[in-house]
Amino acid sequence: MKPFEYKFSDKLDEILHILSQSGTDAKILAGGTDLLIELRRKPKVYPGVIVDISFVNELKGIFEDNNHITIKPLSTHTKIFKSDIIRKKAYLLSEATSQIGSLQIRNRGTVGGNIMNAAACADTVPPLIALNAEITLRSQNSVRSFKLNDFFIKPYKTKANPDEVLTEIKINCLPKDAKSTFIKLGRRNALSISRLSVAAVLQQDEDGKIIDARIVPGAAFPTWQRVVEAEQMLIGEKPGIELFRAAGAKVSEVMISYTGRRWSTEYKEPVIAALVRRALERCSI
Amino acid sequence: MEQDKYKIIGKPEKRVDVLGKVTGKAKFADDYNVKHQLYGKVLRAKYPHARILKIDTSKAKNLPGVEAVLTADDIPGSKVFGIVVQNQSILAFDKVRYLGDGLAIVAAKTKEIAEEALELIEVEYEVLPVVTDPEEAIMPDAPKIHGDNNIFVHHKVRKGDIEKGFQEADYIIERKFKTQFIEHSYLEPEAILAEPAEHGGVRIIGSVQNLFSSRRSVAAALNLPLNKVQIIQSTLGGSFGGKDEVMTAMCCRAALLAIKTGKPVKMVNTREESMLESYKRHPYTMYYKWGIKSDGSITAMEIKIYADGGAYASMSPYVTWRSVVQATGPYYCENVKTDVITVYTNNNYTGAMRGFGSPQVNFAIESMIDIIAEKVGKDPLEIRLQNGFEKGAITATGQKLEHNVSLKEVLLKAAKEIDFQNKWREYKSQSDAPIKRGIGIACSYRGVSLGAEGTDAAGTIVSVQTDGSVIVSSGITDMGQGAQTQMCQIAAEVLGITMDRIVFLNTNTSRVPDSGPTVASRGTIMGGYAAKRAAETVRSTLMSVASEMTGYDVEVLDLKDNYLIDKDSGERLASFSELAAQCFKKGRPMFGFGWYKSPPTSWHEENGYGNAYFTFVYGTNIAEVEVDTETGKVNVINFVSAHDLGRAINKQTVLGQFYGGVAMGLGYGLLEEFEIEDGIPKQLNFDEYLLPTAKDIPNIKAIIVENEDAAGPFGAKSIGEPTNEIAAPAIINAIYNATGKRIYELPANLERVLLGHKLTRKGERGSVQKEKEELIIESCKIK
Repeated sequence: MKPFEYKFSDKLDEILHILSQSGTDAKILAGGTDLLIELRRKPKVYPGVIVDISFVNELKGIFEDNNHITIKPLSTHTKIFKSDIIRKKAYLLSEATSQIGSLQIRNRGTVGGNIMNAAACADTVPPLIALNAEITLRSQNSVRSFKLNDFFIKPYKTKANPDEVLTEIKINCLPKDAKSTFIKLGRRNALSISRLSVAAVLQQDEDGKIIDARIVPGAAFPTWQRVVEAEQMLIGEKPGIELFRAAGAKVSEVMISYTGRRWSTEYKEPVIAALVRRALERCSI
Repeated sequence: MEQDKYKIIGKPEKRVDVLGKVTGKAKFADDYNVKHQLYGKVLRAKYPHARILKIDTSKAKNLPGVEAVLTADDIPGSKVFGIVVQNQSILAFDKVRYLGDGLAIVAAKTKEIAEEALELIEVEYEVLPVVTDPEEAIMPDAPKIHGDNNIFVHHKVRKGDIEKGFQEADYIIERKFKTQFIEHSYLEPEAILAEPAEHGGVRIIGSVQNLFSSRRSVAAALNLPLNKVQIIQSTLGGSFGGKDEVMTAMCCRAALLAIKTGKPVKMVNTREESMLESYKRHPYTMYYKWGIKSDGSITAMEIKIYADGGAYASMSPYVTWRSVVQATGPYYCENVKTDVITVYTNNNYTGAMRGFGSPQVNFAIESMIDIIAEKVGKDPLEIRLQNGFEKGAITATGQKLEHNVSLKEVLLKAAKEIDFQNKWREYKSQSDAPIKRGIGIACSYRGVSLGAEGTDAAGTIVSVQTDGSVIVSSGITDMGQGAQTQMCQIAAEVLGITMDRIVFLNTNTSRVPDSGPTVASRGTIMGGYAAKRAAETVRSTLMSVASEMTGYDVEVLDLKDNYLIDKDSGERLASFSELAAQCFKKGRPMFGFGWYKSPPTSWHEENGYGNAYFTFVYGTNIAEVEVDTETGKVNVINFVSAHDLGRAINKQTVLGQFYGGVAMGLGYGLLEEFEIEDGIPKQLNFDEYLLPTAKDIPNIKAIIVENEDAAGPFGAKSIGEPTNEIAAPAIINAIYNATGKRIYELPANLERVLLGHKLTRKGERGSVQKEKEELIIESCKIK
């Protein structure tokens, strides 16, 4: 590890001030589960300043308000999956955070870090997009909001400026009768990086017809998207294996339309379809 | 009662090293620090294959804090080392042959300065073409790694008449199998501390598995006699065969720096450095061609194997020799022709790793036997019982098995435990659902210890102190497997004392006899036998003193529970401590040295036959799996591991071997792969090199089978490697039972299980490359 300057504060204002002085040379430290590993790898662009935000209490906590949940970015994965609010009103996020990395990573790693690092395999992002998440970024002189699905440019690249801090993630509570799930496919049963994942939400009316459907694959698309083409196929229909199979096939098709046929497509094409079908099945039981 | 035969043997005694390890007091190599120590770092190659035109160290030497920058030119003695072929450079001087080659070493006041200095060393290369596939490396126009021929070992086995065997066959079945590089994954990366010694020599303490071979190379490099090079083993954080040559290189480099600077030098590899430089398990490409009768008997086996030796010879000649001996498995066959060809490439060199040439061939053998079972309509257990060795069998190398051949015992015990045959039948015809179950079996026979590889002897010292406490030391080393405890238990049993009286001294090359390497699962049988003899020597002195003390005949005396007793009445006549004090007073030696040389073996290299090993062990693994047929994910849900190990000296330690062996075998079968593309390793840490986690390991039922063998102490044989060598094929056979699709190349990762082949990103982004199709040839001569 090379030398770097380390700065910290427990006040957001001071953090924003430090960042405004640091230029593009600064890196924000939240849980450190990605950053520290990256530093050990001796990256080409090595940060001159590490700004530790982990002491900022105003960036911690999960709050419910009306039909919304505000998740502060320093919430760890453990905090999220143990939160009653999340389990009851955003179940798929609870499922996703319970499977991230290892116990140690879940205890350190934060949802804000997961978003800002923007790895293609980030497991909180597909559920958050399925929950129509909006995020707020602040710098010393500005406040900006994004819909989370508009925030990413490509893996490891977001629209955030170097002097901005993610200060809030806001999601809609799922309706009471909606069901949701997150399916993660990894190579092993713990400490696993998603090979592929799917976040899904389904809501049916009294007749059993689907009135809301959300499908967000992970580690499949260049950036995360709800697959509207597949979602539309479901609306107004009753759940059924053939319907879900067709929706899965549609997700594959849309994936390939974005990525083209690549070295891994032969595997991802049938598997993402199967995972989507399974996720929808789980949401309709 | 059999259990009462011994007081200490077979009991779950606490490991002698346990307290240090659970309290954090055990000192691993990196825990050793001395004042004024310097930090050594290695400059490694920039290309996997290149001629070295010039190394300029002047800028690095001028960096403040740097005390020495050395290259091969600074080595006073031998610049190369090697157990069999002396061609591995301590520091590369003519060429670099793989990316892990070291070119220069730096000693500096801090690690950071040493690392900075490395960046200041300028090397001019002439880049050479790279060869990484063993079958390409044998082509006449392939780039040559050493000399003018990349083939450096060709072992053969010849038995009967292979042509006749195929003529007699009703079916001929040919398959190709491939295995991967895997990393030992010892928890503790390589580390040592080398200090200049008073007598002009050097003293090294560190994470070294085979102290004596490392010592020979340090002495040769420094032009020192062996008695001036002392290597002491620190507590080892795992090795699995992996801390041999890579540690030898580190010992030589640190010793050079220590002698040059006159200061202690610490060298520690990061995990990335470790994975980049260290040797791996050999990848094998195996062509198996078997002739079988329609009743399932085997008339001919023709086997051709290409082993990737990587950049240096290392242990390849021995590893591949075990492969050639065991390549047919424990199955009767009159006509055998086996060739194992080992070649140099620009990959990481390959050497000893738990299993030592058996996990690869067992994957092929145990897949083949299942394939022929299906061909003749038998189940996997039936075919093994039909063809498996019994006492008196003649192996492929012409050796008659005179010991208790317990293959069928372990097969039947394992199968019964899990109701193998019924489950196998049930899963074979299960209904179509995405998640399918399967069960698979694999068995093996394994030669114990080194066999005809080389001299096989070891020494252990048992030294009774005047207060009746005891020190045991040995040339056999402990890397976590529990050898210390086994030797101490044997000494305690012979001396009639409890384990708390014994301390084991970490191995020190200057204080114990060269006992060869601690490899080949020979720790207990060789070191343990020597411990028994050493303890018996002391015991006989103690007993004669006891007789003088008490006036009783030696015959009526015994040592039990730390007392001298009257054998008939059980009356305690004196404490062991009193006896020891008396012995000292009388001026009698309480120091016992035991030496054990293995029974004879033989090998005829030219004609490929011989009595390869003095005895064998037998084992069976059964895996029950769930295969997700839509994603390729395999979960192993149940496992049975049955092994005949002669006798378990310590049941807990043995169970540890069973569980650990299965876990490692599961990694080999499903997850682990050290990928090297055009000479560049792809995974250098455990984020990408995937080991199984606790959540991937199934419930493991261990069945310890004990048929005492006269060749071992208290009948004990081997267990370390046998437990690791058949887990993968059991899993692969289970996958087949579940899916009807056979995996011919390890590991059975998501892509291989789903698609039948691996996906590789190679060349242009976006291009799709499939591996070569598998070889599946079957001919039927029945009209």
